[in-house]
Amino acid sequence: MSHFALMLLYATLLGLFFAVLWKRERGEQARFFLKVFAGLVGGAIVLGWLMYFLPSGPPAPIP
Amino acid sequence: MPVEDRSVSSPAPSLSVSRSIPLLVLAWLIPGAGHFSLGRRARGAVFAAIIATALVTGWKLDGNLYRPVEGQPLTRLATLGAMGVGFPYFALRYGAGYEGDPLSGGYEYGTVFLLSAGLMNLLLVLDTWDIANGRKE
Repeated sequence: MSHFALMLLYATLLGLFFAVLWKRERGEQARFFLKVFAGLVGGAIVLGWLMYFLPSGPPAPIP
Repeated sequence: MPVEDRSVSSPAPSLSVSRSIPLLVLAWLIPGAGHFSLGRRARGAVFAAIIATALVTGWKLDGNLYRPVEGQPLTRLATLGAMGVGFPYFALRYGAGYEGDPLSGGYEYGTVFLLSAGLMNLLLVLDTWDIANGRKE
């Protein structure tokens, strides 16, 4: 599975979890799910692009 | 997709602390069981499915199932978080002898999925407590 697909899966699980935990009405749950999902995926993409402009360090050591 | 729990018609009656504790232990051991036993069956089933998916994904990615490491105090905190998933943690760690594989490509992602499963279940235990005490529907 690609990193992006894993990120989508993670955002889906988290969005679903908090929507069902915190909201009761179906419409509210759907809106909250979309907010969390978009926040996580969009935030990760924006952060990824911001980090693109930072200098890369040495390769991470293999544990 | 999002679930409206139509099986709930009224708030759960308040339980005493002594009656709540076995319920909280059950909610911790089996993800979703606390909500299920309080009559929130649809919600319990969704929570169980979400946590099971996170757990299996983390396991299949060879993520780290945290355990305390000497000289690394933060691993104790992470272990408590991972243990939040209840029985599956002990089944994986002691039953299957699972440790995770730091050389696996999915190690970091897998660790996040495993830790998140534990933390989500801890939130469910607190939610069960609120429902059992009538503070939440």
